[in-house]
Amino acid sequence: MDYAIVQTLNGLGLGIILAVIAVGLTLVFSILKVVNFAHGELYMVGGYFAYYTITLLGLSPFPALVVAIAASFLLGAVLERSLLSPLYSDATERKAEYGILITFGLAVALRNLALILFGPFPLRPPSFVIGVQKWGPFTIANDRIVAGGAGIVLLAALVYFVQRTTWGQALDAVSQSRESAAIVGINPRRVYTLGFGLGAALAGGAGALIAPIFSLSPSMGILRDTQAFVIVILGGMGSVPGSIIAGILIGLAESLFTAYFPDPTRALSYSNAFSVLVLIVILILRPTGILGRRHVQME
Amino acid sequence: MRHLHVYAVVLLVAFALVYARVVNAYWIHVAIVSMIYGILAASWALLAGYVGQFSFAHMAFASLGGYTSALLVQWYSVAVPLGMAAGLVLSALFGSLIGWVCLRMRGPYLAIFTLAFSEIVRIVLLSEHQVTSGPAGLRVAPLLQTPSRVPYYYVALGLLALCLTVMGLVVHSRWGLFFRAVREDEEAAGASGVNVVRAKILAFAVASGFAGLAGAFYAHYIGILTPELGSSDQMGLVVAMAVIGGLERLPAAVGGAIGVETLQEVLRSYGPWRFVLFGALLLLTMRFFRNGLLAPAWQRLLEARPVGSVLTSSREVRKGHRA
Amino acid sequence: MNQDEALVRAVRLCKRFGGITAVDAFDFSVRQGELVALIGPNGSGKTTLVNMLTGHLNPESGEIFLRGRRVNGLPSFEFAALGVGRTFQMSQPFRRLSVLENMLVPGLTRPRSTREATAACARVHLKFLGLAHLETLAARNLSGGQQKLLELGRALMLEPLIVFLDEPFAGVHPTLRSEIIERILELNASGRTFVVVDHDMEAIQRLAGRLVVMARGRLIADGPPDRVREDQAVLAAYAGV
Repeated sequence: MDYAIVQTLNGLGLGIILAVIAVGLTLVFSILKVVNFAHGELYMVGGYFAYYTITLLGLSPFPALVVAIAASFLLGAVLERSLLSPLYSDATERKAEYGILITFGLAVALRNLALILFGPFPLRPPSFVIGVQKWGPFTIANDRIVAGGAGIVLLAALVYFVQRTTWGQALDAVSQSRESAAIVGINPRRVYTLGFGLGAALAGGAGALIAPIFSLSPSMGILRDTQAFVIVILGGMGSVPGSIIAGILIGLAESLFTAYFPDPTRALSYSNAFSVLVLIVILILRPTGILGRRHVQME
Repeated sequence: MRHLHVYAVVLLVAFALVYARVVNAYWIHVAIVSMIYGILAASWALLAGYVGQFSFAHMAFASLGGYTSALLVQWYSVAVPLGMAAGLVLSALFGSLIGWVCLRMRGPYLAIFTLAFSEIVRIVLLSEHQVTSGPAGLRVAPLLQTPSRVPYYYVALGLLALCLTVMGLVVHSRWGLFFRAVREDEEAAGASGVNVVRAKILAFAVASGFAGLAGAFYAHYIGILTPELGSSDQMGLVVAMAVIGGLERLPAAVGGAIGVETLQEVLRSYGPWRFVLFGALLLLTMRFFRNGLLAPAWQRLLEARPVGSVLTSSREVRKGHRA
Repeated sequence: MNQDEALVRAVRLCKRFGGITAVDAFDFSVRQGELVALIGPNGSGKTTLVNMLTGHLNPESGEIFLRGRRVNGLPSFEFAALGVGRTFQMSQPFRRLSVLENMLVPGLTRPRSTREATAACARVHLKFLGLAHLETLAARNLSGGQQKLLELGRALMLEPLIVFLDEPFAGVHPTLRSEIIERILELNASGRTFVVVDHDMEAIQRLAGRLVVMARGRLIADGPPDRVREDQAVLAAYAGV
């Protein structure tokens, strides 16, 4: 029983982080109308940003987290400007294809760049808060609590940003109608850059938060990418609340699955396969997701 | 020079036939691997460039073809060519199934679904190591009992020719036109009477079948098979080859594969930086040369007409073929 | 109307999207050789109806008969094979294919068609539509009106029993508009059946022998133009929007 509770709490923490990643993905989709196949790689790079900020610049983990988030935002903005601008030009045809190919290419490029720069071996940055919490029979790593808490903070900050600030409302406006937003005087180009940057920042932040728990490797983005897709489709493309709920569910599912799968050597691999299977089943049954906003065609 | 492209092809074929006799074993190996990738890139181009189905399950089918053939040979002592044929058939069948399942999925969803499917295949192959030897690699019986690579070279050449012939026939038939109509506008294609269902499933079947064949030949040539064949990185490599060569012209895709693979070998001394180069090349090509780098050259070859003849009409045809 | 004579017959067609009923218990028949205009305020469900009658949407309930044969649930390409042609509200030519290739696509779906015969037939239609000189041009380089004519040509290549034209005059230059009207009248005179959906009342006036009015998914009026114009329900529907 205690084991189950601990695993559930771990699952919750993981779920919040997954929700952060997924919200970033769904944000990019709803504003730029593009599915970012490199989202997992932005998550991975964020983790490495934090790691090297700590080891090379000597910052402690919390400031490094902030640096990682800021650096991820900047990276996202740069990538958006250089690679994604054809998506907004009327001269580009078959925008959906372009989005798929260029973000997929970006994912592969980033993974290989990371492989070269950071090496293939897993790296683990120092903990945010060393140690564990013991409540009677339960033991939970501090880092997991930090991750969960920071994740909630990030999500809350995002929601506040979108609902209360001018820029945030501009984001919302553009996600609903690019033309109307332009008429009202919002510059869509800047909003796209902001949107993609925010998505990257969320992914990078998640990467930095999860790194002390699961450690870093160049291919860590692949799994989270797939999970992010599951979550976003489960919760509905473009729906932030949907992603949060679905994220927590998937986090719980992964933790409990890994904990209770009969064959421990296969547990982790098949728990990955499990999310993938869920995704496949959903796509077959309801290709537009469950809670989604109306799926907008891209051309 | 009226049929410039015919002369070019004849020259190329002559070169290809002589090639194995004049270079050393290492460069023969490079050529063989290039041709395997050529089949993979061209078949993916058929699916993506002609019908617009951007499936990321392609290398999973190559993988399935490889393992099917290898295991059939290992367990039932099936003759290798028969095993390879089985690999082709199984991949074609599975490909059709995936095509059918994805019928109603639009672009990004199809991509996500096939990526997910590919991951599952890879995970299962990795985990069931009693059967597949997992990451350590499955030992695969060789296709030919010969120490020399030269016969493999000619088999590869033959398979590539077979692939291009079959796909070329499809592409030049009315189905080629139907494929392109589906990619341009699926709804309008249906309204025009194109059996969109049949078109998609046919494309998946042919493309996946050849992927499986390529995977099987690869396995029986190299002698060892790992689930890495179906990884995202391999898929990315094939995508890069097809895009850099040209998604919409099969020979261009093959050219892209040969070019990228050769470049890879030439730059081997630079280590893993090559892959970053290809990633960058892919991004640059997508961003600035959406038709691919080789396709326009091939197009010029096709259009080359005697001077004085209607240059304006060739410009108009070009308007029709540019992306 | 004798039900056996009907080319296309729709019985109590219904379509709902989420909470909105787009088409509500709609009965509709078209006889061979008619030129019917389908009009109604924006959002009245006209395009949804056309989409159902051409196989692009499945009705929630109700039935569709083509020459007496029940066809609801069939995919759009089956409808096309059975002789139902259509054009789209926003032109959807095969953009990167040439004008001739656009015509070849439907032509080659016909059984026992050959490339030569189909190309020859296509050229005849293109000449009729005034597009022959643009044969090698990529469809995306055509003007809006030319694209509409091309779509009509594509529909004709199916040797259709009936052609549904969805807003063929929208955004078209006035000269080309007259062209399109003339072509439709000529084709109808030689026996082709048309259902035209549009807002352009001037064009509708010149074309239609029969007017069907739709509002909020329902059939409001159906008859010759003079009678329908006086119909109270029709006036109310337009005034109310």
